[in-house]
Amino acid sequence: MPDLIDEKVKRYEDLLNEIWTASEKYLGRATVQLLVERVVWELSGEYKETELLQFNENGISCKELLTALKENLNFPVDEMFAKFVTSYVEILSRLIGSENAEKIMKILREEVEKLYLDSKEGKEDGKIENRY
Amino acid sequence: MPTNLLLSVSLKYWQDFQDTLAKAMNTNIYIFDANANPFSKFSQQVEVCQDVNKGNKICNEKCIYFYKDVLSSVEDRGIFTCPYGIRLCAYRLGTYAQKIGFLIVTPNGNITGVDIEEENTFVAKANNIYQTINEVLKAILEKNLLGLRRLELNSIYEISRLMISTVELDKVLELIINSLIIIYKIELGFIGLREGDKIKIAQAKGEYGHRLVGKEWSIVHPVIEKIFSTVEPSSLDIDKLKTLDGLTDLEIDVGNKIVIYPLWTSIGAVGLLGIMFSPDSIDENDNRNLQIYVNFSAIALANAKIVSRLEKEAETDFLTGFFNKRTIQNILIGELERAIRYRLPLAVIFLDIDDFKAYNDTFGHIAGDVMVQKTAEIIKNSIRAVDIAGRFGGEEFVIILPGTDKEGAVAVAERIRKAIESYPFPHRKVTASLGITLAKDSDSVESLLERADSALYQAKREGKNRCCLA
Repeated sequence: MPDLIDEKVKRYEDLLNEIWTASEKYLGRATVQLLVERVVWELSGEYKETELLQFNENGISCKELLTALKENLNFPVDEMFAKFVTSYVEILSRLIGSENAEKIMKILREEVEKLYLDSKEGKEDGKIENRY
Repeated sequence: MPTNLLLSVSLKYWQDFQDTLAKAMNTNIYIFDANANPFSKFSQQVEVCQDVNKGNKICNEKCIYFYKDVLSSVEDRGIFTCPYGIRLCAYRLGTYAQKIGFLIVTPNGNITGVDIEEENTFVAKANNIYQTINEVLKAILEKNLLGLRRLELNSIYEISRLMISTVELDKVLELIINSLIIIYKIELGFIGLREGDKIKIAQAKGEYGHRLVGKEWSIVHPVIEKIFSTVEPSSLDIDKLKTLDGLTDLEIDVGNKIVIYPLWTSIGAVGLLGIMFSPDSIDENDNRNLQIYVNFSAIALANAKIVSRLEKEAETDFLTGFFNKRTIQNILIGELERAIRYRLPLAVIFLDIDDFKAYNDTFGHIAGDVMVQKTAEIIKNSIRAVDIAGRFGGEEFVIILPGTDKEGAVAVAERIRKAIESYPFPHRKVTASLGITLAKDSDSVESLLERADSALYQAKREGKNRCCLA
């Protein structure tokens, strides 16, 4: 089980960093950092573990979050990351226009869907599509 | 700070806390948001209304209307009886300035209101619960507020860092709008720059943002006039705003507000900053902080204007408003390259006012200056908008005619010469000599100007008040 959570969180970390890199091209580093900080702050009311996400000019790290999640295996990891991405993209589309945000999401959607379906063992096909 | 509890408090953690408190105090607790909509569930099953609402949530219209009615009448606190006979204490949560919701405390068993002692014990217990919950909420909201202020500080730091370099004006304006969208979740933000008698939208993001960039609004448009008639922000009526280009098709949610801040600095009005937002996302405190962004925008624009003015002054001759010698040489480098690359003709005219020194010595330097200014005006009126004129020094002018062949250049030179000759200058008649040349593939700026200069001296040698071609 811990190995699974390792792998899952690593994949989410890669995903968040991909979003970071893609949006940095449109917005610049300062804005992306502010945006991540905003989403972390907003989500930390609901999932205080979000505050364990570390980020700096080089991107996002889930190292500390992973340590906490290993001690709480019932934590809704997928739900938290899905809400993170949804909230991020909602603001992102206001900043770069929905067309450009869609371009970024197109690249990432496949990966998100795969991650989500993996965690649901393929039972809720197509559900992630409606989240964005 | 939003007064929506769901934006500030995690329902999951809140329900756990509320249920624990309810069990410890042997009461029932229920929270509503500021609009009197249910936020949390009943902590314990309520025996009396078991059949009505299954014990842990409102699912009866009578209950909903009752709570809406009761909560709208609660100033601070009150004791009420629900339609099914449950006695309850209702409290307003938050402060007078920040109303964030309502607390309902009910006993677990039914209190008829007949036993005063029993009711007093319950009310005392409810008051304790209210104080505890209010303190906890206050702590949560303060923590949230700190988070928001930290975000604001970070963005302000980045903006001020960028402002050190005025060449990054675009980046500063973009970061200001980005910050407003990220921190306050505004629906639309735009910054307009004053350019003469117009406001040109330099940056716009959010809904309708793409339609606004580049749009120009006249400074005498009634809406713009109203904005600049005060130093305070203007809250605008949507119908009036729709009269501005780019906002004609504006459709906004009922309740959304549009506020436009005039950007005033020591050098006057430099532009405006507009935001469209839901009243939930910005409150009085935020309004004060928004003013910081407004000030940053104004300073960035004022700095850019000053730099641009200084750059213009460095390129321009003060007396005539024409380009100076250095600038005209730089322009000629580009024009020469273009002419050679695209095989286009390029003509250059060198003009010198005849006997200027004698005029100056006889009638004074002020009269000399007037003559130079008038000559510049005549040149300007005799050439096309694409032609470029410069004052090369003293009484010498250079005129660059891109895309003009020999015949065209001679015609322009003659037109200028005749206009000067026929102009009624004070004191005496004034004439000018002009040297014309056309660029060759082998030319440098120096060789081109030298040839035009030689042609000019040929015109002088041949008796002045004439044009010569070299």
